[in-house]
Amino acid sequence: MSEYKSDLTKLEKVFEEYESNPENLITILQKAQEIYGYLPKDVMYKIGEKLKVSPAKVIGVATFYSQFRLEPMGKYLIMICQGTACHVSGSEKLASAVSDYLGIESGKTTSDGVFTLQKVACLGCCSLAPVMMINGEAYGRLTPEKAISILSEIRKKEAAE
Amino acid sequence: MDKIKLFIDGKEVLGTKGETILNIAAENGIEIPNLCHSKELKNFGACGVCLVEIEGNPKLQRACSAAIEDNMIIHTDTKRVKNARNAALELIMSDHEGDCVGPCSLNCPAHTDVQGYLKKIAEGKYSEAVEIIKKKIPLPASIGRICPHPCEAKCRRRLVEEPISIAYLKAFAADRDMESDSPFVPDIETGSGKNVAIIGGGPAGLSAAYRLILSGHSVTVFDSMPEMGGMLRYGIPEYRLPKSVLKKETENIKKLGVIFENNKKIGREEFSVLKKEYDAVLIATGAWKDMKIGCPGEELSGVFSGIDFLREINIGNVPKIGKKVAVVGGGNTAMDACRTAVRCGAEEVYVIYRRTRAEAPAEDIEIEEAIEEGVIFKFLTNPAEIIGENGKVKAVKLQIMELDEADSSGRRKPVPVDGKFEILEVDSVIAAIGQKYDSFGFEEMELSAKGMLLADEKNCSTNIEGVFAAGDATNKGASIAIAAIAEGNLAAAVINAYLLGVPFEKAEHRYSERNVTEKDYAEKEKAKRAVMPVKSPESRRHNFDEVINGFSEEQARNEAKRCLECGCHDYGECKLIRYADENRINMRKYKGVKHDIFTEKELVSIERDQGKCMLCGLCVRVCDEKIGKSLLGFRGRGFKTAIKPEFEHSEDIADCRNCLECEKICPTGALKIIK
Amino acid sequence: MRIVIGEGSCGIAAGAIKIHSAIEKYAAEKDIEIGITGCNGMCFLEPIVDIYDGKELIKRFVRVSESDAERIVNAVENEDFSSLSDIEISDEDKNFLDLQTRIALRNCGKTDPESIEDYMDNGGYKAIKKVLKMSPKEVIEEIKFSGLAGRGGAGFPTWFKWSAARKSAGEKKYIICNADEGDPGAFMDRAVIESDPHSLIEGMLIGAYAIGAQEMIVYVRAEYPLAIKRLEEAIKQAEKAGFIGENILGSGFSCKMRIKAGAGAFVCGEETALIESLEGKRGMPRLKPPFPAQSGFKNEPSNINNVETFANIAWIIENGGSEFSKLGTENSKGTKVFALTGKVNKSGLVEVPMGMTLRDVIYKIGGGIKNGKSFKAVQLGGPSGGCIPKELLDTVIDYKSLSATGAIMGSGGMVVMDEDTCMVGMAKFFLDFTAEESCGKCVHCRIGTKRMQEILTKIVNGEGEQGDIELLEELCGVIKDGALCGLGQTAPNPVLTTLRYFKDEYDEHISEHRCRAKECSAMLKYSINPEKCIGCTVCARNCPVKAINGELKKTHTIDQNICIKCGMCSKVCRFGAVSIG
Repeated sequence: MSEYKSDLTKLEKVFEEYESNPENLITILQKAQEIYGYLPKDVMYKIGEKLKVSPAKVIGVATFYSQFRLEPMGKYLIMICQGTACHVSGSEKLASAVSDYLGIESGKTTSDGVFTLQKVACLGCCSLAPVMMINGEAYGRLTPEKAISILSEIRKKEAAE
Repeated sequence: MDKIKLFIDGKEVLGTKGETILNIAAENGIEIPNLCHSKELKNFGACGVCLVEIEGNPKLQRACSAAIEDNMIIHTDTKRVKNARNAALELIMSDHEGDCVGPCSLNCPAHTDVQGYLKKIAEGKYSEAVEIIKKKIPLPASIGRICPHPCEAKCRRRLVEEPISIAYLKAFAADRDMESDSPFVPDIETGSGKNVAIIGGGPAGLSAAYRLILSGHSVTVFDSMPEMGGMLRYGIPEYRLPKSVLKKETENIKKLGVIFENNKKIGREEFSVLKKEYDAVLIATGAWKDMKIGCPGEELSGVFSGIDFLREINIGNVPKIGKKVAVVGGGNTAMDACRTAVRCGAEEVYVIYRRTRAEAPAEDIEIEEAIEEGVIFKFLTNPAEIIGENGKVKAVKLQIMELDEADSSGRRKPVPVDGKFEILEVDSVIAAIGQKYDSFGFEEMELSAKGMLLADEKNCSTNIEGVFAAGDATNKGASIAIAAIAEGNLAAAVINAYLLGVPFEKAEHRYSERNVTEKDYAEKEKAKRAVMPVKSPESRRHNFDEVINGFSEEQARNEAKRCLECGCHDYGECKLIRYADENRINMRKYKGVKHDIFTEKELVSIERDQGKCMLCGLCVRVCDEKIGKSLLGFRGRGFKTAIKPEFEHSEDIADCRNCLECEKICPTGALKIIK
Repeated sequence: MRIVIGEGSCGIAAGAIKIHSAIEKYAAEKDIEIGITGCNGMCFLEPIVDIYDGKELIKRFVRVSESDAERIVNAVENEDFSSLSDIEISDEDKNFLDLQTRIALRNCGKTDPESIEDYMDNGGYKAIKKVLKMSPKEVIEEIKFSGLAGRGGAGFPTWFKWSAARKSAGEKKYIICNADEGDPGAFMDRAVIESDPHSLIEGMLIGAYAIGAQEMIVYVRAEYPLAIKRLEEAIKQAEKAGFIGENILGSGFSCKMRIKAGAGAFVCGEETALIESLEGKRGMPRLKPPFPAQSGFKNEPSNINNVETFANIAWIIENGGSEFSKLGTENSKGTKVFALTGKVNKSGLVEVPMGMTLRDVIYKIGGGIKNGKSFKAVQLGGPSGGCIPKELLDTVIDYKSLSATGAIMGSGGMVVMDEDTCMVGMAKFFLDFTAEESCGKCVHCRIGTKRMQEILTKIVNGEGEQGDIELLEELCGVIKDGALCGLGQTAPNPVLTTLRYFKDEYDEHISEHRCRAKECSAMLKYSINPEKCIGCTVCARNCPVKAINGELKKTHTIDQNICIKCGMCSKVCRFGAVSIG
C-alpha cells in the first residue's frame, strides 16, 4: 500500500554484509541512514521484511533512539552539547540563541533545508565548554554572539552558491 | 514438588518455589492490584501498581515478577507500598485524558446514565431506555417534562451547536414505554420482612419507596393530600405536567406493592406510632410553607402565597385573583403562578422581580413562554408596600432597584434607587419568593439554623435512630425535583443497609474528566437540536392543556443520535478507575501537560484512544506474543511514547480485523470495538 | 626523536589534526618520526604535542596552535627547545599528572592507540598469557583479592558478578562491555577506548576466560565514532596476533569479539536495557530478576562490566590483586577515574586512589575555581548522583562516604560549580535530562520525572508555589520506590541532594522570587545606574529588542515590559552601569 520511492537496491550491500537477524536491526538502520541520510518509511519496511521484524517494531526502534531521523536532514547538522560542563558554562542560552536565530526548535530543519538543529548529550569536549558541533567540527568556548556569527557566515556562503 | 511456606499480610500460605508473589496471593484470595500483567503474556513491569514490601529487602518488589521464597514475609498494604502504588495511579490519572462518564450524568444530581438511555432511544428500544432511567428515576415521564435539566447545561454537544434535548427524550421514552404492550417492570427481591414508613409522597418519598420495595421491604407512604406526587401534583400546573401522566407513574409504583395512605396528615402522635410500628421511618414531607415578602400590607385580602395558590388550583378550586395580578419572584414557582393566573382569566399579569432576567433562577424557556402568553415582567422592582382599600389589595408600591457590584457568590446584588417608586394597581398579589419546611408535628427533630430538618448529607440520618430524612424538607431546603429524587435514592440505600444490619458507606466515585473546547469538535458534523412542537400562545392561554405536543419518533431517535458518547464505554470494567476508587486516590494531585492525544482508526474494527492509554503495553504484547502479528507497536520514547499500528500491506489490515484480542486485554477504555 | 601528537577527541576538537598535518608538512623529508597518542587527560591544555627520545618524554608543549608547527619541527631537528618556552608546560601544570595514580589510564596519552606493538612494548597482553595458565577460579580469586568493584556506578564487586556468570548454566555465555557512557559530563570511557583500546580487549579476554564466555561484545555510544574506529582496528590487530578467535595462544580457549554501536539512548547504560538494545529492540529495561548473570543476552548468562572496570583487570593480574588492594580505603580499593569539569581551572581526566578527598582533587589537581570565584558544590554521578556542598569538601572518595552524602560515586563525572550556578537550575537541568531520556516504560519514571521537571521549571520561572517542595519530596520518594530500573530509581537524587543542602535556594525562588546565582532570568531585573551611565548609547544599540531608551550623553533606562533579560546590555557596558537584581 505504501508508495516505494526510495532506491531500495542500495540496501542490498547492507543485507549482504549483515545477517538477516532481528538482532542486527539497529545496525542495519544505522547503515541505511548513512545511505539515505534519514530513514524513509519504505526503507524501514524493506528492512523489516528482510529481518522478519514487523513494521510496527521497526518504527518502534527507529523512534526510540535519538540517532535515527525520520525526515531528511539539513545540509549542516548543528549539534549543541547539553552536557553538564556545557550547562554550567551557559549552553542553555547558547541553544536558545541559535534556536531563535534559525527559527527552529531542536530536532527540526530550517525550511530552506540548510540547517538541522539538534541538542545532544555530552559531546565529550568538556574542556571547551560550551560547545557546538557543525558537521562534525567542534566549535568551543562559545557565546551566543560567536555562535550566531559562525552560522551567519555559513548562511552567507550558502546564499552565494 | 514440595510446597514452601510464606506469609502474605500475616496470612500463612503455601506455594511452589519459582511461582510469583502475585499468583500465590491471588490463589489465596489476596488481590494485589496490577494493570500491566496478564497470565498469558511475559511479565513486563511497567505499571508499578503491584508493588509489595518484602521483609529484609530494602527495595519494593513487583509482585508480578518477584518469585516466592521460603519463609518470605510479604506485605501488600504498608504505608510505603500504598504511597508508591497510589503515586502510580495518581500519575497515570494526571496523564489520562478521557471522560469516565459524560458530563450530563455527572451534573445530574441523580447521576442518571444519560448516554446509556439515549443510545437505547436512538435504537428505538424505549423500554430498555426506561429500564436504564428507572435505575435512578422512578417517574421519568413526569420528570422528563418538568426537570430544569442540569444535564443539558453541561452537554458537550453545546460545543458543536446546541445541547441535546435530554429531558424531553426521557419523557418521550417513558411515554412510549407506558403506551407499549409490555412496559418495563423491574425485578423485586424476595421479602426481607422489614417495613418502612415514608412520610410524604413527593419525588423524594416516592423514589425511596420505589427503591425500597425493589429491595424486598414492605413500604407504606403516608401523604396528607388526596393524591400522591407532592409538589409534582400540587405545585406544578397541569399545562406543564398533566395529572394523568403523573397518576400513571405513581400507580405503577403502587402496583409494585407500595401501600399508599393518602389524606393522612402525620402529627406528633402518629409520628410516634410510626416509629414504633415500622423498622425505619423516612421523613420526606417537603417544603410547603411560603416565605413572607416582609412589607406592609401582606395581611390584606387578595395576597396569596404562590404555593397555596397553585395547590388550590391543582385541587380544583379557583381563588379569586381578579383581573390584575402581580406575582412576586423570579423562580419557577413564580412562572408557574403567573402563567396559571393567565389561564385563570387574569387580563394583566405582572411579574415583579428585583433583579434582571439574566439573574432570574427560572428556566429561560419558562420566562419566554410566559412572555408569549402576555405576562409583563417588571425587572428591577421590589414591593415596598401593598396598598389596600377596605382590607383588600388595591395596588402595590414598587421600589425601583439597580444592580450593584457582584458579590462573593458572583451574583450582582440589587439595591434600591433612592426615592424612586412606582405604583401598580392590582387586584391581587401572589408571593412566590421561596419555600420553607413546616416542622409541625415533628418537634423532636433537630433543625438547622435556617429552620430546615437536619439530616446527615452522607447518610440521611437524623438525631433519632431509625428516622431518616430527605428531600426539600432537609438541610439546604427546597431544590429541584431531581435533587429530591437523588436524596430519596440515597435514603433508600441507607435504609436498606440499616434494615439489613450492614454498615452503609456512600460510594465515593472518582471520575476522570476531559478538558475540551469547541476546537476539539471543529470537525464534527452539525445537527440542530430538535425543536419540541408546542401549542400556540393563543390556543394555550385560556386552558390548562399540556403546552408541549411531544416529539415524533423520528425526531426523538435523531435527537438521541446526536449524543457524542462522551462517557467511556469501559467505565464499568475499567481496572484503572476501580483501583482509583478502592485506593481513594487524589485524582488531581499531580498537574501538568498530558501526552499527545489522538484517536487511531486504522485498526478498522477497533478504535484506539491514546488519551486513555497508559502504556501498559498489553495490546502490543498480545498482538506480538500471542497472535504473532505484532501489528501494534510502541512509538517514540519517554513521556511522548505512544502506541500505534503500522501496516505495510492492506492484507495486514485484513489480518487484523477479526482477532480483537487487544481490545479484550486492555484494562482501560483505550480500545473500543466499533464494528 | 619522535613528535607525538595527542589525538583524542578533546585534542582533535581543539585542533590536533590540523597541527598534525602542519607538522607532517614541515617534517617532510626530515628524519623526524611523527606519532600519535590518545588523551593524557590534560584537556585544559589541548592541543598537546610531546617530544620523545626513545621511550623517554623529554618535552611537552601545550595549547599548541597550527602556527607553532614549524618551530616545533625546527626545534626537534636542531634538538634545541629554548625558543619554545612559551608553549612548554609549566611546572604547576605538571602537577596535574604527578598527583595522580594511574592504573586504568596507565597507557593513555603514552602509547599509540593504533598500534598493538606499542601496547605490547609497554607490557600489554602479558596478563592474558598468565591467565591462560591459571584456572578460571583462580582468576576470579585474584580479582576478589583485589577488591575491584564495578566502576560503572553501582560499585558491585566484580568477582561476584563473574562468579555468578561462571556458575550459571547456559549453552553460550557472553561478556559484555558497557561503553554507553551517557552521563552528561563524563568521558572517561571514551578516553580509555580512544587512547588504550587494547587494555579493554585484554581485560575483557580475562573476564571471558574467567566466566567461560564464547563471545565478547562492546556496546559503544554511537556518538563516539573515533572510539569505535580505534577499537575496531585494535580488535583486528588482536585477532591477527592470535589473542582473539579460536584456540587462543594454543590454550584451547576460544572467544570472538565484536562491537555494537548504540543509537542514542541514555537508558541503554542500564544493563537490561543494553541487552534489549543488543538484541535489536527498543532499549526498555527488563524486570529483574532474572539477572543478566542468569539470563541475559539471548536469555543466556551474560556478564556486563564497564570500560574502566575492564581497563583495571590486566594490571591486577600482572601486579597481583594485593597490589591493587593496597590502594584505597577499607571498603573501596584501587583508583577511580574522574572527568573533572565545570568551573575548575584544570579540567580533564584524573585517576586518583580511593580515599583522596574531594578537596584535594578539585584544588590540588584541578587547581581550584576559575576566575577567583568561590566554590559552591561538586556534582558526582550525573543524573543519578548528587551535588555535594562546600561543607563536605573533605569527604573522601570511596563508595560508602560518597553515598552518605546523598550523591554516588557514579561512573566518574565530577562537575564543579561556583557561586554563579543556581542549584535549583542544576536540579532542573538533570531532571530535564532524565525526563528526556526516560524510556517511557514504567509509570513512575515516565510521568513522575515529567511532573518533577514541570515543578522545577515552574520554580525557576518564578512561578513556584507553597507546597511545591513538599510535592517534589513526595515524588522523589515514590519514584525511588516505584521505578522499574536503576535510572528511574536514582533520577530523584539530584533533587534530593540539592533540597538537602541548598533548600534555602529553593525557598528564595519560591517565596522571594530571587535567584542568588542570578541564573534564572525570569527573576532578574536589569536596570541602569544613573550615576555610572554616561549615555554612550552602546547598550541601546546592542539591545536585541530595543528595550533601552536614552539620548547620547544622557542616562539611559530599560523598559522592563520589553526587556527579555538576555544580559546583553550588562555585557557591552564598559562602565559597569547595568545592575542586575
